[in-house]
Amino acid sequence: MLSIWMAVIIVAAFLYTEAAVGFPGETSRILFFHVPQAWVATLSFLVSMIASATYLAKRNLKADYLAQSAAELGFLFCVLATVTGSIFAKATWGSFWNWDPRETSIVILLMIYGAYFALRSAVPDPERKRVFAAVYSILAFTTVPFLIFVVPRITASLHPENTMNPTQPGMDPKTLKVFLGSLLAYTGLFVWMLRLKMRILRLEGLKEPRFGDFI
Amino acid sequence: MKGGRWTTQTGSSTYLSEAIAIWLRDLRIEFRTRYAVNAILMFAVTTLVAVSFSIGSFRIEASEKPFLYAVLLWIILVFSALSGLSRSFVKEEEAGTMDALRLSARPQAVFLGKLFFNLTLLGALELIIVPSFILLMKYEIEYPGFFAAMIISGGFGLGAGTTIVAAMIAQASARGALFSALSFPLLLPLMITAIKGCERAAIGMGTAGWAEVKIAVAYVMIMMVVSLFLFPLVWEE
Amino acid sequence: MYSLSVTNLTKYYSSTLLFKDLSFRLNPGEVLAIIGWNGSGKSTLLRIIAGLVRPSCGRVEMFCKNAPIPKESRRQFIGMAAPALSLYEELTALENMEFFCRVRGIAYDRRNCLNIMERIGLSEQAEKMCRNYSSGMKQRLKLVQAILHNPPLLLLDEPGCNLDSKGMKIVEDIISDQRQFGMAVIASNERREVDYADRVINLSK
Repeated sequence: MLSIWMAVIIVAAFLYTEAAVGFPGETSRILFFHVPQAWVATLSFLVSMIASATYLAKRNLKADYLAQSAAELGFLFCVLATVTGSIFAKATWGSFWNWDPRETSIVILLMIYGAYFALRSAVPDPERKRVFAAVYSILAFTTVPFLIFVVPRITASLHPENTMNPTQPGMDPKTLKVFLGSLLAYTGLFVWMLRLKMRILRLEGLKEPRFGDFI
Repeated sequence: MKGGRWTTQTGSSTYLSEAIAIWLRDLRIEFRTRYAVNAILMFAVTTLVAVSFSIGSFRIEASEKPFLYAVLLWIILVFSALSGLSRSFVKEEEAGTMDALRLSARPQAVFLGKLFFNLTLLGALELIIVPSFILLMKYEIEYPGFFAAMIISGGFGLGAGTTIVAAMIAQASARGALFSALSFPLLLPLMITAIKGCERAAIGMGTAGWAEVKIAVAYVMIMMVVSLFLFPLVWEE
Repeated sequence: MYSLSVTNLTKYYSSTLLFKDLSFRLNPGEVLAIIGWNGSGKSTLLRIIAGLVRPSCGRVEMFCKNAPIPKESRRQFIGMAAPALSLYEELTALENMEFFCRVRGIAYDRRNCLNIMERIGLSEQAEKMCRNYSSGMKQRLKLVQAILHNPPLLLLDEPGCNLDSKGMKIVEDIISDQRQFGMAVIASNERREVDYADRVINLSK
C-alpha cells in the first residue's frame, strides 16, 4: 500500500519539480524512468538466478515461485527499459535503434527472459520444468560476465561515433535526489509486485493436491 | 545352461572411458545413419551457396570485407550448428534408449561423451565450410594462425555452450525451435568474440595477446564446468 | 549380501495416486512379483527402484552387507529390462553388447558374447542391425543386456513379452540363476511369470 503511494508520489514529484538538465528539450527526464527500469530488469535477473540456485539445492517450491516471479517482472521491466530507451534514442540521436553496448545488453537480457519462458512452457512435467528453468537461469547468468566484457569491445568498433547514455556526468543535487528517489521507488515497486506474484502462485499451487511437493 | 553366470565380471570404469564408449558408439551410429551430419552440412552448404551467390557479384569495399565476411562466416557456422547439435540427444529420446543409457553410464560421462560427439560434428563442419568459404568469397587473411585458432576455439565454444541445452530440449516438446531460442542467448558472447577475432585476424590488426581466442577458451572452460555440474540434474529425475 | 528396502513409497502421477505407503524388503535369493491392473503403476514402481523416477514420498535403499549404497552408485548393481527400455537399433546385437560392456567397465570378450548369442538363439542375427529383429529377438537381447554385468538386483518388466516358449525358458533360466546370486523383481500380469516368484504384491489393492 505504502509502496504504491511512494511510487505515485515520486512519479508526480518530478513531473512537477523541474529537472534542469541541458538535453534536447525535456528528454533528459526519461532518465528517471529508463535507468531504474533497466536496473530492476537486471536486478530481477540476479534474484531469479539466486532463487534458481536455491531451488536446485533445496527443492523448496517457494524458491521456484521466486525465480518465476522475478523472471516475469524482469521481463516486464526489460521491455519497458527497451521501449523507453529507444524513445530516448530517437529523441536524442534521431534513430530508434543503434546497437550501442547498453542497448545490445538489454536486448540480450530480453532474449534470455524470452527463452526462459519458452522453456518453462515446453516441459509438461512440473518438477522437470522447474529444474530445467533453474538450470537455464544459471547458465544464462554465467554468460553475463562475458557480455559485460565483450559487448562494449565489439560495438565500440561498429559504431565509434555513438555516444553511450550519459552516466550521470555531474548531476545537480535536485536531479540526483529525484533520480535516487525514482530508483528507490522502482525497487520498491518491484519488491511489492514480486510478493504479490508469489502469493498468487502459492494460492494457485494449493488448488491441486501435489503431494510431496511441500516437503 | 551351465549354471554359471553369463559373464564373469562386474565392472569398473573411469568417467573418460565411459565417455569415450558413448562417443564412439554415437560416431558409429552416425556413420550409418548420417542423421545429424546431414542436417548440419545441408544447412551449411545451402547457406554458404546463398551467401556466395548473393554477395559474390557485388563489389564490397576492401576495408569492409574482413568484418563483413567474419560476420557471414559465423552466422553460417552458428546456425548450422543450431540445426544439428541437438540431434544426439533427441535421437536417444525418440528411440527410447535414454533410460538404458541412464542405467548404464554416469551422468558426467554421458555429458562428456555427447560433448565429444558434438565437437566432432562441429569439427567436420568447420573443416568443410571454412576453407570453402574462404575460397568462394576470396577472403584474405593476414594471420592464418590466429584465424585458425579462433575458428577452432569458437567451435569448441559452440559445443560447450549447447550440449546441456540439447539435453534439456530433448525431454521437452517443440524441440527444434526451442533449441535455437535457448542456445542463441548463451552463444552470443562467444559469437561476438569470434567475429571480432576473425576480423582482426583478417585485417592483421595488432594480434598482441590473441585476446579473443583467450576469451573463447575461457568461455569453453566455464561453460563446460558449469554444464558438467548441472548436467546430472537435467539428466536424472 | 545385497538387499533392497522400500519404505513408505508413494507416487502421484499428476494428481492421480498410483500407490501409497508401499513398504517391503527383499533379501538375497528372493524373487518378488508385482501385479496389478494396467496403469496401476507396476512399471513406475520398477523405475523408481531403478532410480529413474523420483517417488513423491518414501525411500528406496539398497544395501551391501547392511551398508547403504548411495543413489548415484545404485546403477552398477541393477539390471533392468522393460518394454520402454529400448536398445540401439542402428547397432548389431554384438555392438550393443560391446557398448554396454564398455560403458559399464566390463572387458568385452567377443567370443563370450557370441556364446551368449547362441544360448539365447540369436547367433545368426548377431551381426545384423537390431532394427531388423523381430520383437521376440529384441526382447531376448534386452534380457541379456540386463544381466551383462551380473547385477545383484534384477528388475524385469513383463519379461515374457513377445516371447515364445523357448524364450520363456531363457527367462526361467535367468531368474533361477539370479536366485543363486541375488534378487529379482518381476512386474507382470502373466500367470507363468508370476509363478516364478516367492512373494506377490498387488498394486490394485
